[in-house]
Amino acid sequence: MTFMKTISFLAIAGLLSACEGGGGRVKTDKTQDYGFRSHHLSTMTAGIWVDPNGCDHWIIDDGVEGYMSERLDPYGKPVCSDAAPPNTVIGPFQGTSTIGDLL
Amino acid sequence: MKQHAKFARKTVTAAAAVSVILGIFSANAALAQDGLFGRLFDNDRNTKGERYVPTVWVDPDGCEHWAMDDGFEGYMSPHVNRQGIPVCHRQNVCGVMNTDQYFATNSYKLSAGGRQNLANFFQSANSRAYIIAGHTDSRASDEYNMRLSYNRANAVAAVASAVGAKVIDVRGYGERMPKAANNSAAGMSANRRVEIICIR
Repeated sequence: MTFMKTISFLAIAGLLSACEGGGGRVKTDKTQDYGFRSHHLSTMTAGIWVDPNGCDHWIIDDGVEGYMSERLDPYGKPVCSDAAPPNTVIGPFQGTSTIGDLL
Repeated sequence: MKQHAKFARKTVTAAAAVSVILGIFSANAALAQDGLFGRLFDNDRNTKGERYVPTVWVDPDGCEHWAMDDGFEGYMSPHVNRQGIPVCHRQNVCGVMNTDQYFATNSYKLSAGGRQNLANFFQSANSRAYIIAGHTDSRASDEYNMRLSYNRANAVAAVASAVGAKVIDVRGYGERMPKAANNSAAGMSANRRVEIICIR
């Protein structure tokens, strides 16, 4: 009887995990970060990463996620502004996170 | 009798295991649109395209980027129109010189007063770096206008450099990037310009 109970429990747990999505929250909204400090992505602060050619990219360390996107001038050309030496990063790209970045 | 019981127990175990596994699989299939491992089981939907709706992140220059957070991964790309021009909320062109006030027709030699105005501008604009872009109206040949606009942009850049401003690029777009229609005197006048883009 205990055996059957265990089996039933496992089966129900398996089905319930369905409702929970297994990995936690079901992520249909890509515009939010549901981490320890949930926030809308539009609120992120960026620094500048200078690529090996000397051109600027916006860089954001949003905790688990990292983001990078080109800095473009009004004509769509890369901005290579000598903000810093190539292969370096400047500015508040790790935001104001209180979570230490171990990665 | 004992053997029967053993067999029955084995069958129950197997059935239970299958139901657990099926439960997890079907769960994932049902939630496959976004679950961590969901997409592995969701071949159907992939052929139709999975829904990935981005939000907009605005960079410090005021320009838009597409951003998506997939749970653990983050994605970002500049928002440009189909011509490759970034979509921005404000202009980073911090100075537009109407070239009529600085150059004689067909000339790229700055007037003395124009030179002084520009020197004052670069000394007070307070930007880290500048991009200088020259433009003309649509009269004369494309080739001639490309050269004239570049020469004028270079003349402006020389003043910037002389007062210690950092110029990171100088370009001539000729008549190819009009700001107004070239079918009126006012439109053509607006197109004869040198733009100073401020990089902060």
